[in-house]
Amino acid sequence: MTETTGAAAKTPLLRLKDLDVTYSTGGGDVAAVRKVNLSLAAGDTLGVAGESGSGKSTVAMSVLRLLPRSAKVSGEILLDGEDVTTMKWGRLRAVRWGEASVVFQGAMHALNPVRKIGEQIAEPIRVHAEAGKVPPDAEVRARVAELLEQVDLPKSRAGAYPHELSGGQKQRVMIAMALACRPRLIIADEPTTALDVIVQAQVLDLLSALVAEHSIGLIMISHDLSVLASTCARIAVMYDGEVVEERPSAELMSAPRHPHSQALAAAFPTVGDPVSRYAPATATPLPPEPERAVEPGRAPLLSAEDLRVTFRDRNGAKINAVAGVDLDVRHDEIVALVGQSGSGKTTLARTLLGLQKPTSGIVRYDGNPVPMSGAGLKAYRRHVQLVLQDPSSALNPRHTVYEAVAEGPRIHGLEENELAIVTKALESAELRPAEKYFSRLPHELSGGQRQRVVIAGALALEPGMLVADEPVASLDASVRGEILALLLRLRRELGLAALVITHDLGLAWNIADRVAVMYRGELVEVGTVEEVLLDPQHEYTKSLLAALPGGTSVRTAVDR
Amino acid sequence: MTDALSSTEAPSPLVDPDERRGGTGTTRFVLTKLAEALASLILVVILGFLLFRMIPGDPVLTMTRNRPTSPALLAELRARMGVDKPILTQFFDYVRGLLRGDMGTSYILQRPVADLIAERAWPTILLVGSATLLAVALGLWLGVRAAWKRGSFFDRAHTGIALTLWSVPQFWLGLLLLVASNGLFPSRGMHSPDAAPDFLSQTLDVAHHLVLPCVTLLVVFYAQYMLVMRSSLLGEMNSEYLTTARAKGLREDLVRRRHAVPNALLPTVTLVFLQFGMVVSGSVSVEAVFSWPGLGQLTYDALHGPDLPVLQGVFVVLAGAVVVMNLLAELLYRVLDPRVRAA
Amino acid sequence: MSTPVSSPRAIVWQRRRAAVAKIWREFASNKGGLIGLGFLAVIVVLAVLAPVITDESGLDVTKATGGPLRPPSGEFPLGTDVDGRSVLLMTFWGARVSLLVGFSATVLSVLIGTVIGVAAAHFGGWLSALLLRFTDFFLVLPSLVLAIALSAVLPQGISTIILAVGITSWPTTARLVRAQTLTIESLPYIERSKALGGGHLHIVGKHVLPGVMPLVLANTTLVVGNSIIAESTLSFLGVGDPTEVSWGSMLSTALTTGAVTRGAWWYLLPPGLAIVVIVLSFTLVGRALETVLNPRLRGEHS
Repeated sequence: MTETTGAAAKTPLLRLKDLDVTYSTGGGDVAAVRKVNLSLAAGDTLGVAGESGSGKSTVAMSVLRLLPRSAKVSGEILLDGEDVTTMKWGRLRAVRWGEASVVFQGAMHALNPVRKIGEQIAEPIRVHAEAGKVPPDAEVRARVAELLEQVDLPKSRAGAYPHELSGGQKQRVMIAMALACRPRLIIADEPTTALDVIVQAQVLDLLSALVAEHSIGLIMISHDLSVLASTCARIAVMYDGEVVEERPSAELMSAPRHPHSQALAAAFPTVGDPVSRYAPATATPLPPEPERAVEPGRAPLLSAEDLRVTFRDRNGAKINAVAGVDLDVRHDEIVALVGQSGSGKTTLARTLLGLQKPTSGIVRYDGNPVPMSGAGLKAYRRHVQLVLQDPSSALNPRHTVYEAVAEGPRIHGLEENELAIVTKALESAELRPAEKYFSRLPHELSGGQRQRVVIAGALALEPGMLVADEPVASLDASVRGEILALLLRLRRELGLAALVITHDLGLAWNIADRVAVMYRGELVEVGTVEEVLLDPQHEYTKSLLAALPGGTSVRTAVDR
Repeated sequence: MTDALSSTEAPSPLVDPDERRGGTGTTRFVLTKLAEALASLILVVILGFLLFRMIPGDPVLTMTRNRPTSPALLAELRARMGVDKPILTQFFDYVRGLLRGDMGTSYILQRPVADLIAERAWPTILLVGSATLLAVALGLWLGVRAAWKRGSFFDRAHTGIALTLWSVPQFWLGLLLLVASNGLFPSRGMHSPDAAPDFLSQTLDVAHHLVLPCVTLLVVFYAQYMLVMRSSLLGEMNSEYLTTARAKGLREDLVRRRHAVPNALLPTVTLVFLQFGMVVSGSVSVEAVFSWPGLGQLTYDALHGPDLPVLQGVFVVLAGAVVVMNLLAELLYRVLDPRVRAA
Repeated sequence: MSTPVSSPRAIVWQRRRAAVAKIWREFASNKGGLIGLGFLAVIVVLAVLAPVITDESGLDVTKATGGPLRPPSGEFPLGTDVDGRSVLLMTFWGARVSLLVGFSATVLSVLIGTVIGVAAAHFGGWLSALLLRFTDFFLVLPSLVLAIALSAVLPQGISTIILAVGITSWPTTARLVRAQTLTIESLPYIERSKALGGGHLHIVGKHVLPGVMPLVLANTTLVVGNSIIAESTLSFLGVGDPTEVSWGSMLSTALTTGAVTRGAWWYLLPPGLAIVVIVLSFTLVGRALETVLNPRLRGEHS
């Protein structure tokens, strides 16, 4: 619904004119946002996409002047014709939440941890009441209950504290809070980033429905283009502080023009699209993946037999993190283990690596059972290595690249050829020339380079297999493809098998041969990627695929 | 002896607020804490025995090292203190005595230790209690204001003053105040012999005597509370939920008062309880300087014997009191912080 | 940025030097820290050189040349004490005792605290729970009372004070080290180290200790300040060595011999002021170090 009065139809709800934001930091002035022009009509939905550092969050926060004092803003921010940058404080405070509200990442620390969420939702209602006419408690409580109902939360949750809620529930609370004063504009800043795929789909559906129902304008910020495409009519892509492309989302997703938009679009491949099979988004196109001959008789490289890992929580109740898993990884194979948080995939990975003792079951490497302690375990470590999710904390910030890569060989007593080993490992991880990186510290490197150092550290022991736990989840979209391509290359050149743990089905589509879907400690479906992702059998797999924001290429033909 | 002023120290040993918990119930929590306190008290009793009966080797020799003695005297002392019995018997006698309220007899004053402690307890409670209350009120208020006006002259001046005062040895400050006040306030004791006997005059008289020792004691501790409250609030002011509060249209002072300060107050308040042991320690030297007739002065006098039974009794009582305060702190924290309550 | 390096050892030394240089630069930008460090340097130098600069015999009561409790004059810039000794000389020599006890007690305390803290955090299980309870118990105990108790039962002297102070002040360091070790061990690079095959020794030696040391260093300077106050308090209360001149004992004598009532401010001020200056200097240096080594605190301290 975009038609209101004649005057409103001409004045956009929000208009950013030549917006410039500069932060004055210790090291000089940093231009975070440069000459940004955007406009949004009432009831419209606009997505702002970009990587970290693109300035998208700064744009969002500037609308209500929520930036830190070190930020200098120039240009105009017209909210319903009024310039926010020149508003007096009194008017600004009234506008905040009354006209425009923000949905922060609720799953993080945006809620006051020691106050009940009902009170926190009620707070803006009371603050924005007309002077002297604060509504009575009963009325406020009724409104809070109404809001909770709108976000599908039971009224009783009003008395809960934030830590008692799940991530999805906290996000719904943030949405309810944002609607409290009936705003005309909602700014959603990465509203689903920390959430599971299925919960994410629910939250996005909720947001879309509410926004349409109340004719609220929506600006959504995200690094994930497919999330934006499923919720917003138009998308603006930001890079290095500037808007580089702005088009209706369907057009942008299918035919991005700017190279950065192309990188972003390619980073989240559509499952089922043959173009992205074995072809992660890279700067230079990869050679096609050679046909893989499967040797039927050969024993798998790594196998788990009826693996079980049970924990006891604080009350003594049993938690079956891994409940009877049989999994094989064959030579030269890349297997994707897909699951949401709480499925047990990380526990399974750690057990396979020997970092966690199984309650029962056997892990075999090359046919032999793996000892779970002592010198045997240490020897096993040379064969199966680990790549972690967040490269910035996976490396000791005080150690140089050389020391980080040399750590493995030193532990295993391979000091004689240390220099050669380290050089070779770095070069296999595509850090060339290796010598240039020896004395660098992790914080001097980019995210992608750090992940390569972690991979090099693993390669230094010349393992037969890598276990990668969310290897690209913390990396920027444009870098993901490069690391995934590296994994493919390592498989081709060194015969390195891999077990990739991820929540991202698109990643599985991108590089895996086989995929195993994990839910609540069990593998619900295992098979080749084509089988499982294009023709899922299990209910859970089907719901995962249905929840993908970009859909699958099998489904995009049908209207969602 | 005040504690190292490190802001990195977690103010509460009780709970990690980011830990997700399933419910354990209040009763279970209280019982656990009671059991832990009991265990600590038992340790205190054992430690008391260890220190005063076992470490000195022959306690009687240690006690009489500064005095002329004869073998007959020593033998009599040994018999009276029960030192000639086997260690385990001594220990059980000691525990039994404690449970009956009998802490032995003072060697120097020839009176039951329990009586001495009972007499001296109230003055110390009065001194420590008043000093703590005032120090907390002053320290927290100044800390909040200094954090609000961070970087201002008020803030820098008060932080500087607090840092300096924290470096001042309490007994020296007491001496200085004595000299400086030059007769304005009484320099010793708790009562003047010539005060009128009615209740009001007596109370005023005690208050008059209380001023100097109380000020001496509170000056160092207010500084610590102020610095901790300030850094706690400054740390809290960077929290994300404050941005949410501002976005909702709250005025800045409401944001601080309603959201930041209460959250910053929690760990500070429990720190106050936990530091109680240090206030008690401080009272020893302050009472010594002002001849305030409390447990601290009792300790001071007993040191020059050394009067081991008295020292043992005072140690057990003081340490025990601190353990009890610690228990109260843990229970209070649970009441105040919903994240712990849910656990 | 870097010249090509020839060997792994050179790389390690180069980064260590660079790290120290960086810490020094940041430290130097903190005025309080610099002032504190300056004062400390002067005091330590003076204390060490005391036997060279001054005549120790002036401390001997039998050789005192001044009259009792004379106010400051040309010959005795800070006046004399009750036995006629120069207060200036005594203050000078008292510094040596205070610094000696302060440092020794701190070394003892930090050593115990670090070992227990790392053990409590690293090993987990029942050992950790036991050590934690043990630490908490000693943390809450009134340390001065405990120190007094120890000083009473052990033979009088400097080593008793060192022992008493060292044994009663380790819990704070232990808690700090434990908290920091827990933080470090929750970081992924520890898990990576384990995955590479590292055992307890490797992880503690190569990752935990280097990560913990900076904060321990900052904490140590604060502990020294504490220890000096503790030592002076114990001396004041009379448990020190009666023959040694220390600031605490000077003040104790001031009280017991009525110097206070006679208004002999020259006897009262110097020892106390000296304590304040030293402890304040250590505190400033400690806080500056903390800000440098833990950038998170920058907002809280400055």
